[in-house]
Amino acid sequence: MRDSVPAPPSTPARALTVTGLAKSFNDRKVLDQVNFHVNRGELVAFLGANGSGKSTTLKCVAGLSAPDSGIVELEGTDLATLHGRALIESRSRAAMVFQKIHLVPRRTALENVCAGGLARVSGLASITPVFFSRQLREEAMASLDRVGMADRALDKVGRLSGGQQQRVAVARALCQRASVLLADEPVSALDPHAAENIMELLSELAHQENLAVAAVLHQPDLALRHADRAIGLMHGRIIFDGPASSLNEPVLDTLYSPERSAA
Amino acid sequence: MSLQIEPRIESHPMDESSSVIASRPATLSVPHDRNRVRRRLLWGAATVLIVILHLLAIRGTDFDPAVLVEGWRGMARFLGDAFPPDLNWETVVKPGLEATLVTLWIGLLGTTLSIPTALLLAVLAARSTSPHPLAYQISRAILSFFRAVPDIVFALIFVTAVGLGPFAGVLALICHNTGVMGKLWAESMEETDHGPQEALSTTGASRLQQIAHGSLPLVVPQFIGLLLYRFDVNVRSSLVLGLVGAGGIGLLINQAIKSFQFDTMLTHIIIVLLLIIVVDQASGFIRRRLAV
Repeated sequence: MRDSVPAPPSTPARALTVTGLAKSFNDRKVLDQVNFHVNRGELVAFLGANGSGKSTTLKCVAGLSAPDSGIVELEGTDLATLHGRALIESRSRAAMVFQKIHLVPRRTALENVCAGGLARVSGLASITPVFFSRQLREEAMASLDRVGMADRALDKVGRLSGGQQQRVAVARALCQRASVLLADEPVSALDPHAAENIMELLSELAHQENLAVAAVLHQPDLALRHADRAIGLMHGRIIFDGPASSLNEPVLDTLYSPERSAA
Repeated sequence: MSLQIEPRIESHPMDESSSVIASRPATLSVPHDRNRVRRRLLWGAATVLIVILHLLAIRGTDFDPAVLVEGWRGMARFLGDAFPPDLNWETVVKPGLEATLVTLWIGLLGTTLSIPTALLLAVLAARSTSPHPLAYQISRAILSFFRAVPDIVFALIFVTAVGLGPFAGVLALICHNTGVMGKLWAESMEETDHGPQEALSTTGASRLQQIAHGSLPLVVPQFIGLLLYRFDVNVRSSLVLGLVGAGGIGLLINQAIKSFQFDTMLTHIIIVLLLIIVVDQASGFIRRRLAV
């Protein structure tokens, strides 16, 4: 019913809204009434101890995990009201970047980035990179250029460093034409310098390209330096949502306090 | 009570010559292992069972080295007839080489023509790429069937359809190799990293696209390695297929034995040996190059 209704003009900047998200694994509550939103042009850091539900939240938004209940709205569209092709199209407005990068090492950076646009290509010709259209390749090149990797486009991804690979993964997300970028611990596997660079890139994409970026981070100092807002989770509940600058010692102490029994 | 234990520790014999250093290394008594007796009983039972099985097998196969020793004369006569090998070019070596080439072709076609069927069934029979549990079960069953029926049985069946000759051998190998290679491919597909496929699922790519761009490119080296291994095996299988009338050098070996021309047989066997060494070396070389 709501698919044809455009996003309400009162909230044009709101790219992602999550309401009442809940999820349990074997009677253990992983997410409990999670509510938050991410605006365009904003980098939001998700903080919390291991098992607090940060990654599960992003996975529920990306469709990699099915929530038990709750509403996920992308650009004002409730995903639960969509099915089939419309759901895939709406969902592809949110792209995901992973800690383990998940590119194909044997293929070139360009081919990996082109794969981000597969949803726009149909037919049997889309099963091999040989038949990727010139338009798709050039869009992928522009995405690679945006992350500063255009000069390595024809290199196999396996030959790139971890930081460079993560840049290619971000380019794949751009080639997907997403407006929301979900980053699940994007810098946890990188050295401090590469981590800083990737965070700068994510913040640029938010502030200059008007993307809504949600990043799960394990280092509060990265959140302090790069994020506009921080959301803190504990035992599947949001216990902090405010400007990153207001992250202080007491808040962090609570977030990372020795784990209490979640049961 | 504790006083009784104390002197025992103190009187622990110390080797004067080696313990120049006064302090003994720290020790801690090993906790009592409750399962030790049970584990030993299990091992004992398994040993007894294995011995019994072997005794039954020896009786069931009339395995008796004494008979072999007594019958050495028959073997010596057989080998005496085979040496020296008959190296007549026109009647033995040339037909042998031609038939060996046919054997190689049977092995080649039997391997490559089973790629499409093996690939399709492997994708359906790998948990990570199968579209539906039912498709998974059905394709697993098909693979098991093709694997369970020996290629020689397939050859006999196809001979009734297309007559004696190498074509029946090719068809037989396609069937059997689909079963074996499909299973091996499905397993390496399941073992590979599913991350790229998962990542593509979030981009809105279709299932087929996810497999084509996420999973398959990762397993190409393993697939080619297994393909070469199967080519190696299939060339050897096609020898045996020749024995049941599916052409190639196997047919000539069979004919030589039936007409008691053991020197001809030996020539053919030497040619086969050379073929197998060449195929083995070539596929090993390519696999090593791929591994880098």
